[in-house]
Amino acid sequence: MGVDRLAPYVLVAPAVLILVVLRLYPLALGVNFSFTGDGERDGTAVGLDNYATLFDDPLFLGSLRNVALLVLLLPVAVAIPGLLATFIYLRVPGHRVFRGVYFFPAVLSPVIAGAIFNLLLAFDGPANAVLGAVGLGPVDWLGDPDIALFAVVGVHVWATFGMALVVFLAGFSTLDSTLLDAARIDGAALPRLIWHVIVPGLSRTIQFVFVTTMIGLLTSMFGLLYVMTGGGPGGATYLPEYYIWIQQGQLDRPALASAASTVLFLVMVVVGLLQISLLRRSGRVD
Amino acid sequence: MAAARAGRWLASVPMAALALATIYPLVFTTNVALKTRREYVLDRFAPAEAPHADNLVTAWESAGMARYFTTSLIVVTCAVVLLLWLGSMAGFAIGSLRFRGSRTLFLGCLAALFVPFQVIMVPLARTMADLGLLDTRPGLVLAYVAQFLPFTIFLMASYYAHIPAEIVDAARIDGNTTFGVYRRIMLPMGTPALISVGILDALFCWNDVLIALLLMPSAGNRTLMVGVTSLRGQYSDNIPVFAAGVLIAAVPVLVIYLFFQRHIAEGVTAGSTKG
Repeated sequence: MGVDRLAPYVLVAPAVLILVVLRLYPLALGVNFSFTGDGERDGTAVGLDNYATLFDDPLFLGSLRNVALLVLLLPVAVAIPGLLATFIYLRVPGHRVFRGVYFFPAVLSPVIAGAIFNLLLAFDGPANAVLGAVGLGPVDWLGDPDIALFAVVGVHVWATFGMALVVFLAGFSTLDSTLLDAARIDGAALPRLIWHVIVPGLSRTIQFVFVTTMIGLLTSMFGLLYVMTGGGPGGATYLPEYYIWIQQGQLDRPALASAASTVLFLVMVVVGLLQISLLRRSGRVD
Repeated sequence: MAAARAGRWLASVPMAALALATIYPLVFTTNVALKTRREYVLDRFAPAEAPHADNLVTAWESAGMARYFTTSLIVVTCAVVLLLWLGSMAGFAIGSLRFRGSRTLFLGCLAALFVPFQVIMVPLARTMADLGLLDTRPGLVLAYVAQFLPFTIFLMASYYAHIPAEIVDAARIDGNTTFGVYRRIMLPMGTPALISVGILDALFCWNDVLIALLLMPSAGNRTLMVGVTSLRGQYSDNIPVFAAGVLIAAVPVLVIYLFFQRHIAEGVTAGSTKG
């Protein structure tokens, strides 16, 4: 029995070892890195120099502006799967098929989604053919600095709303259906039903989807950016994660990249806390 | 009642349009992949005249997709086996055994889920170089294990926590050690969770491009997704071959989706509601 008491520790030991060496240690190392220099000043302490460089770099500032834009788009990216899940929950004709179809892009790699949309958004590709059919001029989707970021975010939403949809549907399965029936008998129309029954009933799910969607927007667009725009045109589609990659992988400035990583992490924490407190204040969280 | 029914059909129309928008990009890409270069230049929308596999063969052979495919297959298989093994052991310990530090470990996994890879990617590359694992397959396998282990442990621990303690106690009375309980009882009982988590882990690793790009920089070590990104430049004047390469990279995922759709959805929802 004496040996058996150690069993739990033996069971978790390999996992803990890997996580400490390849996640915890790099995390500590990274924050430390961000206060050291690059190139000739490699390894020497430089205080806040990297942070000063970052906030002088128009590309990095542009990437932060783009983050702000993404946060503004967040409600749309949450409302689309939420609304679709509502319709599927209410069993519109064909709901089973829709559910399966909507979910399928969620399993594709961002690289594949990006490559596919490179074909679709080509100047003489299908997207512009559809616009032409309704009498609108062709759009330079990935070449126009005012449009490119929205095009990439659109593809991201296309590729990920199925995941959020499934999470919403799981939330619906915990919803008290008698409440819904009662509201229906009282003759409540769909918008009232959504606002007064579904939104309060699903507050936890909505909060969860908000946070995961935000994390997705801030940290899983790399593949799309890499394939679709390469940060261009003229840096218009830079996001912090792409900036980190360029500084580390292309320009060999790991200390500056570490500083950008630290800023990205702080941004995520701040936006996350802000969202939770906003949702709390609106009284929709129990 | 009639109005309600009409309303439901009304919602169906935009939903069907959206379903079409979801499927069409893949249909278009498949069609392009089956065309000759000439056909594509003349009319990119018309169905391929006589579907032929030339582009697929070109992408597979001369573009090096075969080699990338092998690298991805080996790395992902090793990573998933390790993830399930280490994840189920740690998940069992954290989920069903009471020991000092188990709560801390569970919370640690939860916290790790919220630390994005971008935050540790720069120092991780240096750590890997120090360990002599940069640009090697074992290095990439370990990086994937480290990246997806918290998620795997979290789900396995949540699953095992719902298995009644009486089962563990009964197996103990029958003379099993803790390792025996893990191997003979918990591992078989955990199969449904292992399948869901394993498929999700496999998709995450297979679809990754950032970690592979960072840790396997040399051209001969490309994974399939990194290979896809290099196809564009290579075949910018022969789009059908590019489309064929994209299709080859997507097929394994589509097959997994068709066979395991339910398991994938279960894994995603388990991650969102349990714990």
